[in-house]
This record gives sequence, C-alpha cells and structure tokens, in this order.
Amino acid sequence: MEVTLSMDPLFLAWSYFRRRKYQKCSDLCTKVLEENPYDQELQTSLHISEAAWSLKTRALTEMVYIDEVDVDQEGIAEIMLDESAIAQVARPGTSLRLPGTSQGGGGPTPAVRPMTQSGRPITGFVRPSTQSGRPGTMEQAIRTPRTANTARPVTSASGRFVRLGTASMLTHPDGPFINLSRLNLAKYAQKPNLSKTLFEYIFHHENDVKNALDLAALATEHAQFKDWWWKVQLGKCYYRLGLYREAEKQFRSALNHQEFVDTYLYLAKVYQRMDQPITALSLFKQGLDHFPGEVTLLTGIARIHEEMNNITSATEYYKDVLKQDNTHVEAIACIGSNHFYTDQPEIALRFYRRLLQMGVYNCQLYNNLGLCCFYAQQYDMTLSSFERALALVSSDEEQADIWYNIGHVAVGIGDLTLAYQCFKLALAFNNDHAEAYNNLAVLELRKGHIEQAKAFLQTAASLAPHMYEPHFNFAVLSDKVGDLQSSYMAAQKSEDAFPEHVDSQQLLKTLRQHFAVL
Amino acid sequence: MPEVKSVFREVLPKQGQLSVEDVPVLVLCKPKLLPLKSVTLEKLEKMQREAQELVRQQEAAGAGQHENAQ
Repeated sequence: MEVTLSMDPLFLAWSYFRRRKYQKCSDLCTKVLEENPYDQELQTSLHISEAAWSLKTRALTEMVYIDEVDVDQEGIAEIMLDESAIAQVARPGTSLRLPGTSQGGGGPTPAVRPMTQSGRPITGFVRPSTQSGRPGTMEQAIRTPRTANTARPVTSASGRFVRLGTASMLTHPDGPFINLSRLNLAKYAQKPNLSKTLFEYIFHHENDVKNALDLAALATEHAQFKDWWWKVQLGKCYYRLGLYREAEKQFRSALNHQEFVDTYLYLAKVYQRMDQPITALSLFKQGLDHFPGEVTLLTGIARIHEEMNNITSATEYYKDVLKQDNTHVEAIACIGSNHFYTDQPEIALRFYRRLLQMGVYNCQLYNNLGLCCFYAQQYDMTLSSFERALALVSSDEEQADIWYNIGHVAVGIGDLTLAYQCFKLALAFNNDHAEAYNNLAVLELRKGHIEQAKAFLQTAASLAPHMYEPHFNFAVLSDKVGDLQSSYMAAQKSEDAFPEHVDSQQLLKTLRQHFAVL
Repeated sequence: MPEVKSVFREVLPKQGQLSVEDVPVLVLCKPKLLPLKSVTLEKLEKMQREAQELVRQQEAAGAGQHENAQ
C-alpha cells in the first residue's frame, strides 16, 4: 500500500515563502484557496482561506517588489510643467537644476571628467533616479530618449510603473488574482491583518495608486489616525500622484508618531523632487541626530552634494559612509571614480579591486579596472580586463562604451589603426555614441580627410550639444580652413558648454580681433 | 659660502628650439568610467526583460493559434 505523507499545504506554502520560492508559494496558495472557497461560513475554513489569500498577496508582491526609496523617474511632463518651482532662476547653490552654479566645490572640470546630458560630471554609480538627470530645455528633454541609454517616458504615470503593472497581469492568463474594481475596500480596511498585505499588493503588484490611496485613507481612519505605517503609505501614494505638499504632510505626521529611517528618506525624496536640496540636507542632518551614523542617511547627503556638483564634500560623506559600512558598493564606486578623474588612477584601482574582492562581477567593473590599470601603467592587466568586460556585456550600449575605452588605450599606445577600428566598432554597436564620433573626427583629420572629419564633428555636436569637444574641434578646424564665421559660432557654443575653457576663449579673442580689423 | 655657489651654473640654450608657439590642437573626448548599477536598477531591468520576453512568447503563441484556427 502506498502511503503519501505530506505537510499541511498552508505550512508548506509559508515555508516556500520564507525560502523566497514565491512562484511555488503562490501556486500552493491557489490550490488551498480552491479547496476552501472564501465564502464558506465555517470559522476554521474561513481562517485558512484568509491566511492563504494574504500569503498569496504577499508572495505576488515580493515577486515584483522594488525598494520604493530608490524608485524615482521623472517624465518630461513633470519636468517641464513643474508647478512647485518657486523661482525661474534659483540662487546659486540652492537648486538641483543649475548644477554649474556651485562649481566652487573644486570638482574636476569637463576637460578631464566627461559630462552627462544635464551638465553634471558622470558619477560612479547609477540608480533609477540618476539615469539622465534634468535636461535644461524642452528641446533637450525630447531629444533625451533618442540619445540616452534609457528612454524617458512622457510622464512618470506612463513610465516603468505602468509597464511593470501590465507585466504582472500578463503572467495570469485567466485574469488578475484580485479583481480590484469589485473589491469592497471598506470591508478590508476594517481588518488590520489583511489590509496591510492587500495595500502592498495593490501598490506594488497592480500599480493602482488610486485604489491603494482609497484603501490607505479608509484604513488610517479606522486606526483613528494613530498608525504611522498608514500615514507613510498615504504619503507614498500622494508622491506617486504628484501631490508633493500632501505627501510632505503625511510623512511629517508619521514622523511625529514614530521616528523611522525610511520616513526620513521618503520625506527627503519629496524635497528633492520639489527642488529644495537645502531642506533635504537639513532633514538628513535632523535624521542623523536621531540615528547617528545611519548609512542610508549619509548616502543621501552625499548624493545631494554630488548632484549639486560639489564633488569634494560628496566624497567626504562617502568616506563617512565607508567608516560605518566598509562594503558599501555605491560609496566605493563613487570615491574610486573621483580618484580616477583627479589624476590618481592607482588609488582608483585599489577601490575597484576592493569591489572585485567583494564579489561584484560585471562588465562595468572590469571596464573600469582596465582603464585604471592602463593609466596606472599596469599594462599586463589592461587588455585581459577589457576582454573579460567584453565577455560579460549584456547590451549593445555597454559593448559600445567598452570598445570606446579600448580605443583610448589604443590612442595611448600610439596604435592609431586599432584606435580607428575601436571607435568604428563603438559606433557599430551604438549609433548615437557622440564621443566616438568626435574621436573618429580627430583621427580622420590626422589622415587629412577634412570633409569626413567635419561631418563626424557635426554629427557629434548634434547628438550631444552638452559636450564642448565637438564644438571646439569644429571651431579649430573651420578656423584653419578659413571659415571664420562658422568657427566663431562653434567657439561660442563651446564656451557655453564649458565657460572656463582657455583655448576656446583665446580662439574667440583672436576671431573678434579679426572681425574688428575687417 | 661662495665656493658652493659656483658649482651649479644656469644653462640657457642659445640654439635649437627655443620656444613653442601655443597652437590650438584638437581635443579627444575623455575615457569613460562606466557607472556601476544599483541592485534596484538591476532588478528593474531584469523584470522588464522578462516581461518583454513573456509578451513576445504570448504573442508568438497567439499568432500560432490564430494560424491553426484558420
């Protein structure tokens, strides 16, 4: 006779959940729910089905859960139709929108450190919110999706969130697990042990912020406005809906009930979105009084300094982070890249090696190691690092960047044929690689192909108007062939992109003298 | 100590290349360190890739069924 011993299915599902096998957990819960339909009157079976239902919502949420603190994506509409902006032209050092104004921090100039689209020096670490920064004009904002690696959505409501929401629906061919439109939210708001999991399911899995807000409003009313958790959730909903002042109110009120690191982070995010970096900084300092040495708060301060282009103090704070947590990837990467661009590739190499020891294993790290090795004169490791980086790429854009950097190594050793081929390869993988166009133009000019060089420079300038190199090169080239008018215009653009550039200023001066003589 | 002073004498070249004219040269764009990705970003990208894959599969399956029905 065959004896089948099996665990209690609900217990097994719970065990799957703890072992992060969410799909299995969800399947098992579905089975339990089929055996104990929700509408039965029996008390025990009601409890079981409630438990299974709640567990399933949690499992489904965990499958698509992303840390809300980290998630931030501004759409074009949010940037251009910004209602919370107080002044059109903010005072220097008080806005995230004018990164160039706080240059006093002694950060590296564009002459040594490449810039992103928004005119900030490139950082050592990307999060969802730092992907392309704020463009300055509508034209730039619309252009961004074509040239940046990640497309910017029209509004954040049409962005990644919605795509994720539909993705979660697709996984269930027989419709969603919970039909939100038929849900009696008031009933669930009365049950504290079900309402919280249900809220997270609606918020994270279904991405239905309006229903989530309704549920949170009812639940906080049921808790007599005394539960800080619901207030934080209300704040999160308001933030997603773009009601920043309301979100601020909820987070402040939650902080009055209960001091909590997460709440400080959410509130700081609200201030950053309202373009009040100074308020956010003082909030972080306030949080640090309550939670001394808290790594996430210190990181937050460092990020704001970095976004305001104050690299020196950002590095100070990243060092503080490392004193608390010496395995913090973001801090190590940012300090490393800062050393690289302040002419200390040997020290940068040590930071990146530390990351390698910690088990970070991806193409970006090997690419950085290769560059650091080359500039620290450790030639034996350079090419093997780049080979590994090429073996680990996951997208064409990454491959293009790596070939671009190998091109630099080739320029460094004087192998211009190899350099030419590398830059060509970079363009083959990413047709919008403006830096590669510029460098190719320089190589073409060495060969004496003036028309080809001009065409490349014009392409580079139109793809990346924020870079000064193509404008300046075009100015020099036009000056040489005697086209003074285009030279003057290009030099002006170059000066706009990089006001401190001495060569551009000199070129402009001589051109002005020429014109004055005429 | 006058003796020590006479040991070193300044050298001023009088022939060969004596000065370099500062001509504007073309500039290359700088090497680009790639930023590392945060865990959240990697998870987001992974989920997006998976979702796209799923959509493609479902569309392929749908198209297959459609052909069978015809």
